[in-house]
Amino acid sequence: MTDSSEPAPDGGYAGATDELPAATDEGGHATTESHGLPPYGSVKRWFVTTNHKDVGILYTVTALFFLVFGGVLALLMRVELFAPGASVLSAIGYNQTVSTHGLIMVFWFLSPFAFGFANYVVPLQIGAKDLAFPRLNALSYWLYLFSGLLLGVSFFQGGTFSGGWTMYAPLNIPTYTPSIGASTAILALVLFVASVTVSSVNFLTTMHRMRAEGLTMRRLPIFTWTILLTVWMMLFAFAALLAALMILSSDRLLGTTYFAVTSPGGSILWTHLFWFFGHPEVYIVFFPALGVMAETFQTFTGRRIVGRKWFIAAMVLVALQSFVVWMHHMFLTSINLQIKTLFMATTIGISLPFDLMVFSLIYTTIKGKVRFATPFLFTFGALILFIVGGITGVFLGAVVLDYQFRGTYWVVAHFHYVMVGGVTALIGGLYYWFPKMTGKMYDEFLGKVHFVLYFIGFNLLYFPMFVAWETPRRVFEYPEALTVWHQLATVGGFILGASFLVMFYNLTRSLVDGEAATGNPWAYSTTAEWAIPSPPPLENFPGVPSYRSGSLDFLGGSGATDGGEVTDGGAVVARDGQAHETGTQAAHAGEPESHASIWPFVLSVGAFFVFLGLSGLQEGSFVPGLAGDVYLALALVGGTITMGSFVGFGLEHFHAPTGPFGESWPFEAVENTKLGVWIFLASDVVLFGAFIGTYVFVRISAGWTGWELVPGDPIPGLMNTYLLLTSSFTVILALVAAEKKSRWGVIASLTTTILLGIGFLVNKGLEWNHLFHEGIAISSNVRTSTFFLTTGLHAAHVVSGLVIAVYLLARAWRGAYLDDERPIEYFGLYWHFVDIVWLFLFPLFYIL
Amino acid sequence: MHPMALFPAFVAPLQSGLVPDGGRDEIFRAIFVVFLVLGTIVGVVVIGYMLYNGYKFRDRGDRDGEDGIDRPELGELPEGGGGGRKLALSLLLSALIVITLITWTYFALVDVETRAVENDDTLNIQVEGYQFGWEFIYPNGNTSDTLRVPEDRTVRLTVTSRDVFHNFGIPAFKMKTDALPGQTTDTWFQPNETGTYQAQCFELCGAGHSAMNANVSVMEPEAYEQWYANTTSDDAASGNATGTTAATAGNATTANNGTTPA
Ligand code: HEM
Ligand SMILES: [Cu+2]
Ligand SMILES: [Cu+2]
Repeated sequence: MTDSSEPAPDGGYAGATDELPAATDEGGHATTESHGLPPYGSVKRWFVTTNHKDVGILYTVTALFFLVFGGVLALLMRVELFAPGASVLSAIGYNQTVSTHGLIMVFWFLSPFAFGFANYVVPLQIGAKDLAFPRLNALSYWLYLFSGLLLGVSFFQGGTFSGGWTMYAPLNIPTYTPSIGASTAILALVLFVASVTVSSVNFLTTMHRMRAEGLTMRRLPIFTWTILLTVWMMLFAFAALLAALMILSSDRLLGTTYFAVTSPGGSILWTHLFWFFGHPEVYIVFFPALGVMAETFQTFTGRRIVGRKWFIAAMVLVALQSFVVWMHHMFLTSINLQIKTLFMATTIGISLPFDLMVFSLIYTTIKGKVRFATPFLFTFGALILFIVGGITGVFLGAVVLDYQFRGTYWVVAHFHYVMVGGVTALIGGLYYWFPKMTGKMYDEFLGKVHFVLYFIGFNLLYFPMFVAWETPRRVFEYPEALTVWHQLATVGGFILGASFLVMFYNLTRSLVDGEAATGNPWAYSTTAEWAIPSPPPLENFPGVPSYRSGSLDFLGGSGATDGGEVTDGGAVVARDGQAHETGTQAAHAGEPESHASIWPFVLSVGAFFVFLGLSGLQEGSFVPGLAGDVYLALALVGGTITMGSFVGFGLEHFHAPTGPFGESWPFEAVENTKLGVWIFLASDVVLFGAFIGTYVFVRISAGWTGWELVPGDPIPGLMNTYLLLTSSFTVILALVAAEKKSRWGVIASLTTTILLGIGFLVNKGLEWNHLFHEGIAISSNVRTSTFFLTTGLHAAHVVSGLVIAVYLLARAWRGAYLDDERPIEYFGLYWHFVDIVWLFLFPLFYIL
Repeated sequence: MHPMALFPAFVAPLQSGLVPDGGRDEIFRAIFVVFLVLGTIVGVVVIGYMLYNGYKFRDRGDRDGEDGIDRPELGELPEGGGGGRKLALSLLLSALIVITLITWTYFALVDVETRAVENDDTLNIQVEGYQFGWEFIYPNGNTSDTLRVPEDRTVRLTVTSRDVFHNFGIPAFKMKTDALPGQTTDTWFQPNETGTYQAQCFELCGAGHSAMNANVSVMEPEAYEQWYANTTSDDAASGNATGTTAATAGNATTANNGTTPA
């Protein structure tokens, strides 16, 4: 395969590794059916592609669509704010606009925009042919798109969510925001989080396991570093958000009472859950922008980043600290001075590494050959904006000042300087990588026009907000005296909007008849994506990328680069979609990788309908009348499609990149799928952690000792503990049997596991039924809510486990897993985890 | 009870003279101005330096190698990069500025916080937010939708909400606090000029949020006393205002400030 002298890191498994544990095939059939990717021109290609570059383009284009969507909402607000008082929008309409503008910009635009580049560029920078799980990557994209469409639908269901992007409780429950569309918006976010989780698992596995030889963690390009840290933060932060959103959805759809006015501490509970996610989110959206700045500063100044090591260390520090500052959003709640002091200190602490990064970027320009091409204009400008945002942020860190700024336009101006400052850098990134992604050069003059308009528009829009800071946030009323500032802002907003028209014109024009771009249009760029043609061929590299010699070489291929040289000639350009079939790469792969699958798309369509259907739930039943029937039908149809596509996923022969890979620290000994399962479980730990933390919080608020346990009798719970423990044991037996190549052993152990799992569920069903007969329902009070929802979430995990187990059993029946028992091992990891969770839940809900 | 509880007492002597005292508006203004001046200087210097470098080191079209500088090359492995000393120094400098500033304001914070609880001479008023308005409850049980207070006396507010999350603020007195259902927060202000001011809601709370205002009337002390003497409890059965609040706050735990998991 390669002339690498290293042993294959994954223990020398030849043959294809499929993405899902359940899908690993017995034989490793060399099927060709699934990698026949249609050419670029074909519409079908975009529905089936799993190639990271295509998915990157899909992300980028879709994110830009949401930028326009969120931007139009923003302009609507700016028109409304041209003068005090409601004129264009109704009061509730304004609240909906503020809320969805925030949600769309933060969730559906900013991160996905960055992940367009991450998808496209990161595998190239680390020397991977694709992500570890290409189909899951496509799935992330489609879930993202459909979650956004779901949000779009919510506008037409009696009005969308109107409680702000922070969704504070109890305004977020149906008592105060009754429209169905409000539920849909929350569900759309849940679907979005699903997309993020899948993508986090994928990126982490890829980046830890699939780096080119010689590309140790310390040597990773800074953009890749920023994405790595972003994804780690995402994995944990979004799990906390998922917990918050699941609880909120349950309050809205099932009638639990976590956030009801009568539940003690409901408001504060939400602020903890939300901001534990929310503060890391600030860095999640900003880090990729930082990465783009670092890359472009290096390229366009022709200098290496000053103190690169420290830059990276600073980012790692920020990523860790980001989880211990959340309460600075709660300085005005009833938290006491000691806690305020603590969080003031951590907040100041987290701001300092950023100073270092800013200085590092500035010093990089010294002795440079600075060329203000469009990408650099944007990232240079972004740094200026970020400095303003940072300085005004220090104001907020001083708690006495924060007391005043909270809820005013000071905050609005500050976070737009930071976040839209980040957007500015990402726009720079778009110009920077546009030639790589399309093979065409954009028009430099129009690019500069865009920048000038953008920069003027930006500052005219947001700077006056500092001056008019005494305007309360999220209102359309403000003191007359401030009118002129708001009018300036509105004018700025339109200039900013217009600047994007220039960009869209420029980029589409260039796409059609722009100059062809060489492989490396920028002098002094260093990273691997510039060493291959624009756009790169389907299999990316002309040989196996390696840094063993100290710089990038393509081993065993034709066009090896030895630094400096632009390698455009000679290599295949896959523009017409034909060349890839005959690419030189095929020679290197033991098994040709697949690049197409329809199931990610179909599954997401199914999920879309399921969630749309669920939005019709209120207090545990569908809304009355025809509408309710429609919602029910949608949920059922969606459910069928989803289940069907899971089966399709499982049965498809799909070949993900298998390695051997160059650098896999620190997971050399952990095979891709196993690592994926581990990472997923890590996020699940946070999910359950948040649920358990919530329970403890609610119980302390209500008085720990006065709390009556919901199940009067611990015996059913105890029985279930035994059942689960035994079933964990039988999974181990199944694994042992597979290693001993005993087909009947595998079948018998799996069957026992399944029976024990079913026993667990039946026992739980009886217990619940008993409680229901006593008049104890999920919606009775916050005690019953926490009990049913938390143990219900666990039961849902058991159900998913059983579905996988049944699938494994069916395969085992036909003799699978005797040569390769890994799927059973991975299932075991999950099953033991579910078991361990129960060991926490049982004492908490039945005994203490 | 808690070692940190002694902290305010410990810093109190330090803060005299260093931090502005007086009303909250004065404290705010003094600190804000210092931040604004310093922030502007730092911003102008740093951004100016950036622009200067960008101009000074602009590409003059020299050929590579002429200036004897080693430029990055395609496909190279990134090095750790030097410049650590310079970065550390700059970081130190900026950290010094930031930490000094914040520490300085911390004394003001302690001052503001302790005054929210101290002092027997204060006038205690309960504030209840609801969709969409404010109700003020006086010690004698009288309720009003205008906040009337005497000039030059510290007013201590205990704020809560009957329904959703609101935030009660009076911009003129630089005072603001969350109004949470089922909990109370304490804050204070000291009006020193008679007149009519506006209280507003600073947390999105529904369709009427933009207009969730109340009038604040700062009166001559005598006029206030006269007005107050003529008011009576709305709820004749209870002269006890706390009882009223607890009932209206949705019979959840009130005054439970310690609910945050430490
Ligand atoms: C492109 C990136 C942008 C991001 C990430 C962003 C983010 C946000 C967020 C998170 C909010 C808070 C929403 C809430 O309070 O629930 C917000 C509010 C707002 N944004 Fe943006 N925004 C962006 C662009 C814009 C643009 C281009 C404009 C103007 C044309 C704009 C104008 C506003 C206005 C007027 C508000 C309402 C402020 C308030 O009353 O709280 N934003 N934005
Ligand atoms: Cu924060
Ligand atoms: Cu409000």
